[in-house]
Amino acid sequence: MNLNLVLQELVVGLATGSIYALIALGYTMVYGIIELINFAHGDIFMIGTLVAITIFNLFGVSTNTVLSGGTLIFVMFVACLGAMVACAVLGVAIELVAYRPLRNAPRLAPLISAIGMSLILEDVGKLWKGISFIAFPQVVAQVNYNIGPVTITNINILVIAVSVVLMLALQWMITSTRMGRAMRSVAQDREAAALMGVNVDFVITFTFFVGAGLAGAAGFIYGLQYGSTVFYIGFQLGLIAFTAAVLGGIGNIVGAMLGGVLIGIIESMSTLIPDSSQGGFGLPHGGTAWANAIIFAILILILVFRPSGLLGQQTPEKV
Amino acid sequence: MAVSISNSMFRPTNSTLKLLVKWVVALLVPVVVFNVWGGESILNAVLSPGTVSLGISIDIGTLIQAAIFIIVFYFVVTLLAGYLVAADSGRRSILEVWIDVLIFVMVPLILVILLGLIIGIALCAIVWPVYFYIRNAVRKAIHYTPPPPLASLKTLNDEQRIVLKNRAVAGAFWYATILALILLVIDIIYFATGSLNTTLFIGAIGRTIILPIAGFLLGQVSAWIALRRTLSAKESSNGRGENGTPRVSKRRRLEVLSATRAREEVKDLVPNDLPLRSTGAQRFFLTLLVVFVLFYPVIDPFLFGYGTNGRLAGYGDAGYYVILALGLNIVVGFAGLLDLGYVAFFAIGSYAWGMIGSPQFSFLTGIPVNLSLLPWFFWPMILGAALIAAFFGVLLGAPTLRLRGDYLAIVTLGFGEIVPIVFLEMDKYTNGTNGLIGVASPAFPGVNWSVVTPAPYYYLILALIAFSIFANVRMRDSRLGRAWVAIREDEIAASSSGVNLVNTKLFAFAAGAFFAGVAGAYHSAKLGGVSPDNFGFGDSVIYLAMVVIGGIGSIPGVIVGALAVYAINQFILAQLDTLAADPTSFVYPIHNAIVHVIPSFTFGNIRNLIFGVILIVVMIFRPEGLIPSARRRRELHQGNDEEVEVGSLDVPPGAPGFEAEVHVE
Amino acid sequence: MSVELESKEIGEPLLDLSGATKRFGGLVAVADVDLQIWPREIISVIGPNGAGKTTLFNLITGIYRPTSGDIRFAGKSTVGLNPNEIVKRGITRTFQNIRLFNNMTVMENVLVGQHTQLKANVLGSLFHVPSVVHEEAEARKRAIELLGFFGSTLIERQEEYVINLSYADRRRVEIARALGAKPKLLLLDEPTAGMNEVETLEAVKYVRRLRDELGVTILLIEHKLAVTMGMSDRIAVLDYGRKIAEGLPEEVRRDERVIAAYLGKAATADQAAE
Repeated sequence: MNLNLVLQELVVGLATGSIYALIALGYTMVYGIIELINFAHGDIFMIGTLVAITIFNLFGVSTNTVLSGGTLIFVMFVACLGAMVACAVLGVAIELVAYRPLRNAPRLAPLISAIGMSLILEDVGKLWKGISFIAFPQVVAQVNYNIGPVTITNINILVIAVSVVLMLALQWMITSTRMGRAMRSVAQDREAAALMGVNVDFVITFTFFVGAGLAGAAGFIYGLQYGSTVFYIGFQLGLIAFTAAVLGGIGNIVGAMLGGVLIGIIESMSTLIPDSSQGGFGLPHGGTAWANAIIFAILILILVFRPSGLLGQQTPEKV
Repeated sequence: MAVSISNSMFRPTNSTLKLLVKWVVALLVPVVVFNVWGGESILNAVLSPGTVSLGISIDIGTLIQAAIFIIVFYFVVTLLAGYLVAADSGRRSILEVWIDVLIFVMVPLILVILLGLIIGIALCAIVWPVYFYIRNAVRKAIHYTPPPPLASLKTLNDEQRIVLKNRAVAGAFWYATILALILLVIDIIYFATGSLNTTLFIGAIGRTIILPIAGFLLGQVSAWIALRRTLSAKESSNGRGENGTPRVSKRRRLEVLSATRAREEVKDLVPNDLPLRSTGAQRFFLTLLVVFVLFYPVIDPFLFGYGTNGRLAGYGDAGYYVILALGLNIVVGFAGLLDLGYVAFFAIGSYAWGMIGSPQFSFLTGIPVNLSLLPWFFWPMILGAALIAAFFGVLLGAPTLRLRGDYLAIVTLGFGEIVPIVFLEMDKYTNGTNGLIGVASPAFPGVNWSVVTPAPYYYLILALIAFSIFANVRMRDSRLGRAWVAIREDEIAASSSGVNLVNTKLFAFAAGAFFAGVAGAYHSAKLGGVSPDNFGFGDSVIYLAMVVIGGIGSIPGVIVGALAVYAINQFILAQLDTLAADPTSFVYPIHNAIVHVIPSFTFGNIRNLIFGVILIVVMIFRPEGLIPSARRRRELHQGNDEEVEVGSLDVPPGAPGFEAEVHVE
Repeated sequence: MSVELESKEIGEPLLDLSGATKRFGGLVAVADVDLQIWPREIISVIGPNGAGKTTLFNLITGIYRPTSGDIRFAGKSTVGLNPNEIVKRGITRTFQNIRLFNNMTVMENVLVGQHTQLKANVLGSLFHVPSVVHEEAEARKRAIELLGFFGSTLIERQEEYVINLSYADRRRVEIARALGAKPKLLLLDEPTAGMNEVETLEAVKYVRRLRDELGVTILLIEHKLAVTMGMSDRIAVLDYGRKIAEGLPEEVRRDERVIAAYLGKAATADQAAE
């Protein structure tokens, strides 16, 4: 196998992986705090892409406009921030409407409610921007950097950079602020936290706010990286990001980041698997067609053999 | 004896008279409406086939079926009349009953007449909850308290039993007589205006004579049915059974029950406060339903006019939704396992028949097969496809069923995504995106299975549904069914009582997959082909919606849920879109107004939106579904001060990881 | 239920714990406990709160796996078996916090208890094969017998949901359910918890009858010392997971270590309060 190809795919995987990591964070935070798989989270990410496009359009930026300098930075900043805020608000709204009323219901009820919310958001996306692919403004002029055998674009770097910055910010917040401490305590033992004076409802809502906000940012950088979006990417990427969260250890923030990058790399590496229908080793139609199946197979295997993931802790259940 | 009967029948006592008025009117109105709508024309067709001008072929077979339908229909309703008059304890007012009949019989009937079967019933799903809401609000406002359920519990002495019997006979007799008279009047009017020929008029007169006699005789049967459900003297006394264990009478067992429980048991008994909801009446309704469904292909033209074939084809499709709902109900409803990838088993079943019952078989195995023989393989292959699907169910379940509920859901979701990809990409075997074509239909001697004649598929799916219901009921009420409920309630207690958690869950999984396999084989046979696009996560969600909306764990509930979801999915939205293009319909302007604001709007596009909203609303406000099983309704509305619900455990008791997880007291 | 022994020195013990230990991370809940129980005995396990008694039960019934040591029942080791397999071997239990199937009726609960005694498989249930139908009828009869052990009240209320029963009745149903599996050894975790004097006396009576009439060996955890003293053949005392004393009731009552264990707790509590 060509080493150059492998290295190249590694780079691609890093970029994709950073996007997955941002989305995975939302899943892992919500699961850690209320033990709910937020099915709608992937679709929040999708809405984030649409919001970003809308904000660009408000600035008069369309598919082929190229900006530069101060304007560029300003517009991008607003678009990214706008997507984050919109998604954060959406996340909170979803929690209030669909999950909080079911806080005390048997566990499957909020899960079904989450599925319902995911369906709603998909159609909202459909109604908003139609059923076909929508182009994402490529405002940044692509510049390729060739480092040895590998080509990395400035967009790749931007994507990774944004992810890293946000992840660091999140990590800082969780470990060093009062709010972060409150979140960790509610995740460990909700009743004890309440007895200690923590406003549990607010902490949960805040968790959704932050998680969804990160998904919004992920939407922004996804659009930059891939150049287009469509109403059903939420479901697809959501599932992949959830796999990442599980791989890293659900409930574990660093785990989500690690899992996201790993899954991104696995995904890009799988495109290297040759097409066996031409004869020889590989998979029919090559690894690309099987990428999703491979990732879901990984998901199943992790849950069967090591449900706590790479870095995860088991949350003990008192009975 | 004859004297007392005729006395009470022709001069009923005051109380009997009240009951007679109540029930005879309640039953007459819907039946007369039904008659005017189409029932009359069925009868006319039987008596005088030449007059039928509906563009359908009337052969002997059809005539016989129509005749059977009409006779059974009239007779069952007459029996019902007798039973209701006998079974009523008389404590609820006439108005209540008439309003009930109005809302639950007349409204659906009229909606179906005006809008067709599917849309009519779907609209009921809106009307009824509204009615419930209003009724509950009114009851709260007037501080209504229902009378205690056991207050009418009586052991009848011989004299009271005779009164009961006379009431039954009177009820059936008067119902039949008045019905005959009304119909006669209608026919006289038709005859006078020349729309009725002589044969039919003679038939009408014959009917007017036969019905009252039949009523009298059927009343005896009603009486017998009602009397069987009373508490006999033997059942009211305690005693000693074998081994000296105290034997407690049925009456005593009922008396000591709490109110909620008593309300459930009392349904079986006569005299009854709410005879319409009693088990006896439900048997009648079920009989009517079965007769209607069984003879539907024959009577459809009389009721709905042209287009029978199209409708039958549609119902043949709706049918496999019902089987899927019943299968998923075993997994989600009985055993409490959330399966989000159920479509995988459906796909496996479809491809199983698809690969064997088509030219693909020869292609794969190299064995040349006479294509005309393939249809005969369908019958063994329905079982084969089901078993193959069940096998994969075991394969998936064995390693994963010990996982916690939401993890299991995700695993099944993953499986549901992987399987269609496999079918898509392994095109050497499955022909990939092009799918398989030329899949054979079943073979049955003398029956033509084609797209033009959907009736055989209709009957086939009915048979499959009947089997599925049968299997479901038997499993639910068996040792296995009890184990499933125990697992749902408390896994640790279940395990400590001897229930093998993994095997019991595995069985539910396999059984669910089995039925999906059956539906799959039927599906590919009917479609004549299989393609990977037929199977996606969206489908799994729809199957889940059927079960959740209909009523988790409730067999009639999920059937209704399946039909409702099918109606919305395949039918209503498509209809709305068709209407939206038609400038003369009321939908047109609404559609235009919306498109103005949201350009990508079509009714088809908001399908997921509607389902999503319904799912959330159901989960928050009525998690037990449309037609709940009694057990689930209790489970879901228990006080929130119960201990932490022990859902399924990450690691089962006894395994090394368990005690890190769970602290058992 | 078939072994009848006069002297407890003859033959194998029914239940034999040797060095049973359970660690949860750093915490040792049960430490090196040896215990032997012979058929038809009534043995009590007592000790201050947190002494590890329920953990011991969980070890015996397979809910936890011992960190080290062996547990043998009727001569064969049960370590590593699932709880349902241990039920098949002949050990059932009740729980401190009564774990009945709340949305099932009394009859249904007791029928689930007989799960291991019934052989019906799916095909048999599906087609109502005569052997299955007969088996179900017999199971119901047996359920009534088991309920009848406590008098006719529970038989009367057999169709009631257990959640609507009184606390004492629910205890009885739990025991009837546990008896459904024809156990040789029955573990009762605080069977008189929450009961007043009258109910307690009644409970003591039926526990004795379980041994006398049904031949079941009983191992029970009990906090009410008067109850244990009066009812038990032998008593084992746990403290901090260790067995600190064992013997006849009078011996244990006078044992200094036992007194120290109970009083010691009280004494330290007093000191801390001062």
